[in-house]
Amino acid sequence: MKVIDISNLTKVYNESEVKVKAVNNVSLSFEEGEFAAIVGPSGSGKTTLLNLIGGLDKATEGKIIVDGTNINDLKSSELIDFRLKNIGFVFQSYNLIPVLTAKENVEFIMELQGRSSKERDDRTTELLSAVGLGERVNARPSKLSGGQQQRVAVARALASKPKFVLADEPTANLDSKSTETLLDIMEELNKKEKITFIFSTHDQRVVKKARRVITVEDGSVVSDEKRNSEN
Amino acid sequence: MIWRISWKNVWRNKSRSLIVICAVTLGTISGVFVAGLMKGWVDQRIHAAIYTEVSHIKIQNPKYLNNEELKYTVPNYTQIAHFLENSEKVKAWTKHTKTVAMASTSRGNTALTLKGVIPEEEKKVSDLYTYIVKDGGNYFESDIRNPIVISEKTADQLRLINYIISQELLDSISKLGANPDLVDRLGQIKDERFITEKKFKAELESLLKQKEIKEFGANTMRLAKNYKVRSKIVFTFSGMDGEMSYQSFRVCGIYKTSNTMFDQMNAFVLQENIASVAGFGPNDYHEVNIILNNAGENLQPLKNTLNSRFSEASVMTWKELAPDAGMMADFMILYYYMIMGVIFFALAFGIINTMLMSVLERIKELGMLMAVGMNKKRVFNMIMLETIFLTLVGSVAGMILGGALIGIFGQVGLNFASVQEGFEAFGWSAMVYPTIELSFFFGVTLLVIVIAILSSIIPARKALKLSPVEALRTE
Repeated sequence: MKVIDISNLTKVYNESEVKVKAVNNVSLSFEEGEFAAIVGPSGSGKTTLLNLIGGLDKATEGKIIVDGTNINDLKSSELIDFRLKNIGFVFQSYNLIPVLTAKENVEFIMELQGRSSKERDDRTTELLSAVGLGERVNARPSKLSGGQQQRVAVARALASKPKFVLADEPTANLDSKSTETLLDIMEELNKKEKITFIFSTHDQRVVKKARRVITVEDGSVVSDEKRNSEN
Repeated sequence: MIWRISWKNVWRNKSRSLIVICAVTLGTISGVFVAGLMKGWVDQRIHAAIYTEVSHIKIQNPKYLNNEELKYTVPNYTQIAHFLENSEKVKAWTKHTKTVAMASTSRGNTALTLKGVIPEEEKKVSDLYTYIVKDGGNYFESDIRNPIVISEKTADQLRLINYIISQELLDSISKLGANPDLVDRLGQIKDERFITEKKFKAELESLLKQKEIKEFGANTMRLAKNYKVRSKIVFTFSGMDGEMSYQSFRVCGIYKTSNTMFDQMNAFVLQENIASVAGFGPNDYHEVNIILNNAGENLQPLKNTLNSRFSEASVMTWKELAPDAGMMADFMILYYYMIMGVIFFALAFGIINTMLMSVLERIKELGMLMAVGMNKKRVFNMIMLETIFLTLVGSVAGMILGGALIGIFGQVGLNFASVQEGFEAFGWSAMVYPTIELSFFFGVTLLVIVIAILSSIIPARKALKLSPVEALRTE
């Protein structure tokens, strides 16, 4: 089942009267449960593509259909609600709320969704245990290592039960061991919860794990390789 | 959760928040204390106006207001008295005769209004009897023939106050810590009698150094003061028949209120002692003074009833008789909130600045919140709540400390002795007992919340203008 259907997507930035095509006529689709990596050199447009898919940025042309809705047509306020219901985000620098505990950081999204206290509590416990932080629920981000913070961020991204998770360079600030652990956790959650993961990454360790690798250069998709199992 | 995040955000940068909180606390303490001080002053002035000077309601002959001739007594006094006796709204009432007279002693003279009173009735309506000064006699309690109660000011004008350095005074000053040399110098004028305060002060200034006067001057003046109770004063006035009459009275008590003007103008004698000389009949009175039960509710209705029943009489409330106090009573609440408003308006700039810094420091985080689905209303609420918490913490602390200060000074009082004369010239007491009502704190809390909401608009707008993508790119 298609989760995302992108057709003829173009994003042009007007910088100093010079038009820059960050994304150039991209057409892609993602199925439920995919574990895909968008790779490419710096400035190739992979982060812009991810931002467009996540509704954080508006496309100049083209369509992004999620669940029958072209998110490019949504107003800014509708997009916020759309993101809350459908998309989980994992950022390169974790972006946890420093004044909240790990548990509160995960719960927060569900509270925005209006979930009941019990539901929030159960889901938070489940997710933090799944990412191996069942014992650190009351720790603040400053008391967690980079890898642990990113695991909280993954739990937060999954808390809202999104249709897909977008992860922008999620391992860029992590050491090998933390990267390994994080990728294992994400892969397991991907399989267990059937949630689509799309990464933008430079990291070969992520690429290795991905079951689909989309290569972007100068804003265009130059290759789209699907793998049946881990390479 | 938004509440929790906002509360925790306040403490993100503790030192910065504490600076703003301290500023708000200090501002609130000052505002609350100044309001309490003003309220204490106004309450004391209103109390003095009602219970010492004019009572809640005063009935007079309207012609007496324009021309203080003795013949203009209260019309229909008997019916008025009967009505007042039977009115549940009336707590106590009394009547006065009033005679403008020239008072003379061998050393001085002054013009006065002699009020003929019945002490037992008077004490239920006026608290003047509580203002008898120390060593200044009593309020019609001695067996002096033709007693009179005069003010300290009048006593001074009639030269009925002497200043004498006695051995007792020298001993007291010595006990207060004065050095033997100072005591010796004061001893040079021992047992000398000074008949005016001015002359005694001048003598002290020639004997003592400025620093010594500052330290011991007030006590020396107080201890040297000697009231000539039982002195005779002769009064000249025209009676009901217009003929000049003379009557002598002996000082039975000397009072001092916080209103110099009132003190300067009023002396009190027994009605029975003035009536026969001035030719007053049994129902000839120039004013009827009334104290009410539950004055807040009964003042205007009783005035209206008296006006309609006794249309030929002038019925005036304390607000008309002491317009300065009346105006204060009507507008003081507005003054308090104006004071607080001005203080918080100034503080608002600091609050806006702090919140702007707080928002600018968290651009990336705000971008993340908007990216993951926090809508603009929630972002606004979060920043607004943060501003409210920041302001409220300081103002609650300020209200508690300001309230405590008012509680302490409300008990011990605050003495503005250095400007006493100026204050008392306008009827304001130099000794103030600050006071505040609980409702004022509720009002201030509401004001703080409104100011905080207004202060949060600029920082919140800054946050709402952020684009999630650009905010997330910020380092």
